[in-house]
Amino acid sequence: MVPRPILSAGGLFPVRLRSPEVMGTPLADTYLSSVTCQYVRALLELAMEDRFSDLDGWVFAASCDHLRRLADNLLHVAPPNFLHVLDVPHRVGEEAITWLADELRNLCVKMEHQFGVDLSDEALTKAIWRENEVLSRLERIGRLRRDDPPALFGTDFHRLLAAWQVTPPAWFANTLGSLENALDSSTDRPPARARLMVCGSQIDQPRWIEVVESVGTVIVADRFCFGSIPGLEPWPVGVDPIRSMAEWLLVGSACPRMMERFDSRLERIQQVVREYRVDGVVVQSLKFCDLWGIELAALTRALRELGIPVLRLEREYGGGGEGQLRTRVQAFLESMGR
Amino acid sequence: MTRLYAGCDVGSTTGKVVILDDHQVVATALIPSEVDPADTARLALDLAASYLPDPSAARSLARLVGTGYGRNEVPFADENISEITCHAVGAQACNPSVRTVIDVGGQDVKAIALNPDGTVLDFAMNDKCAAGTGRFFEAMARILRIDLDRLSELSAAAASVAPITSQCSVFAETEVVSLIARRTPPPDIAAGIQLAVARRVYALARRVGVQPAVAMTGGCAKNHGLVLALQPLLRQELVPLDMDPQLIGALGAAVLARRKGMGR
Repeated sequence: MVPRPILSAGGLFPVRLRSPEVMGTPLADTYLSSVTCQYVRALLELAMEDRFSDLDGWVFAASCDHLRRLADNLLHVAPPNFLHVLDVPHRVGEEAITWLADELRNLCVKMEHQFGVDLSDEALTKAIWRENEVLSRLERIGRLRRDDPPALFGTDFHRLLAAWQVTPPAWFANTLGSLENALDSSTDRPPARARLMVCGSQIDQPRWIEVVESVGTVIVADRFCFGSIPGLEPWPVGVDPIRSMAEWLLVGSACPRMMERFDSRLERIQQVVREYRVDGVVVQSLKFCDLWGIELAALTRALRELGIPVLRLEREYGGGGEGQLRTRVQAFLESMGR
Repeated sequence: MTRLYAGCDVGSTTGKVVILDDHQVVATALIPSEVDPADTARLALDLAASYLPDPSAARSLARLVGTGYGRNEVPFADENISEITCHAVGAQACNPSVRTVIDVGGQDVKAIALNPDGTVLDFAMNDKCAAGTGRFFEAMARILRIDLDRLSELSAAAASVAPITSQCSVFAETEVVSLIARRTPPPDIAAGIQLAVARRVYALARRVGVQPAVAMTGGCAKNHGLVLALQPLLRQELVPLDMDPQLIGALGAAVLARRKGMGR
């Protein structure tokens, strides 16, 4: 829930951290409990291995307690030059938007002071335009997944998303433009055994999607905390860019941390199932992700009551267990008669 | 000419083949797994073929379905189907009243809820952990320096059940070593091992709902001590299957091969 435009304004370069290559977390396990989310443990492990030393700062959103513990421990064992935690409300409403907008303004002030950059409304609006150019292209490419057969596999799209989160927006927009032209002419894909949607904890490992697709499926839509399709809608451009971003973050989030929003999250999934002609939904939570772990129990039941086939999975960060994943997905397809 | 259909279940510990004609089982085979799953499949099929009146008939099977963890590596399979579907189909072919299948294999444990027509309604599988699987039994039997059959017999003779609280195979080994050091009678330790696995299996079965009748498949279904420990937790008796429970996955694969081969 950290708005990328703020982190990309004034010549800054935003990177969403991931660590799919981590091989165990023995160092991080000393500081974090064994029931802490594996994504958080993996990031702390790499931080303790000094693998993030080229970063000038860290910005957190207090999305969940696990991320807060990462911030706490980072300050203790590998303190960065700049660390800021955004306090994000759990409800949507005028007061909550005002609160988050104030939080974002505080962040801007701190970053201007720390990095000597201009984060005025004008600079932020320019950054929003740059981000929106990428988001619009990603959204258009994502919409191609509605086709049957789609012009690209879910794996390809997730590779794009992984690249987007570590690439300067201007450069990435040009690359996406070339890709869009190439994809428009790709019409020779064989029909898939089933069109699936994936919901749940954020997936930043395209390999997981690839394994699911290896049994003949195609992932045509996903819905995580933020994104990816749908969920890449451009940022609103208003007279008060900070307040617009705050509103977008709170209303657009599909993270179960947002309270009293279950029905709207369910409705959105239903809408995507119809729009993207989804045959079945894979709901997955990252191991020890409390928020999605709880959400998925209710979500699984609700989707099944709607007659939508559901496969519920728990996922390990860092991969492994590919054979078991294939077996589960294949059995799910077979239970759907595919 | 009689048409033959086969199912080949390449598991982590054993390879199984069942051959059917249009009416019944005509040959079966069960062998220890080789390193290469393709070798396991070939050897198991050769052994099953040797039991046919004309072994060369196995070279012209109407259809063969591969299943098990090595299902993608069965070189002569016409298709592969997950072991979850195959165990469901196999168990129901033996007993049409079955609505829940508990498959305890060498490295996996699965609970499968069935629709009345034998299709899979829901399923749950263990994760990477070996607890509740044949591997767990093998590790415990090694510590007690007995074989798996003896483990089953021992638990039946227990006067009480030694508590084994850890679900982790590694930690459970430590507990068993401690129990041995305290001179706990081996039958009580064996009963504790059975109960530890039964509780793990029951927890998994609850995730899909335990609807009667319940059948147990896989190699561990032959462990009578496990059956006896599991039944009170399930609050019902496991229904018997008229075939070696370790062959049920291969049977299901063969039944599916026959259905497709006969156009059903």
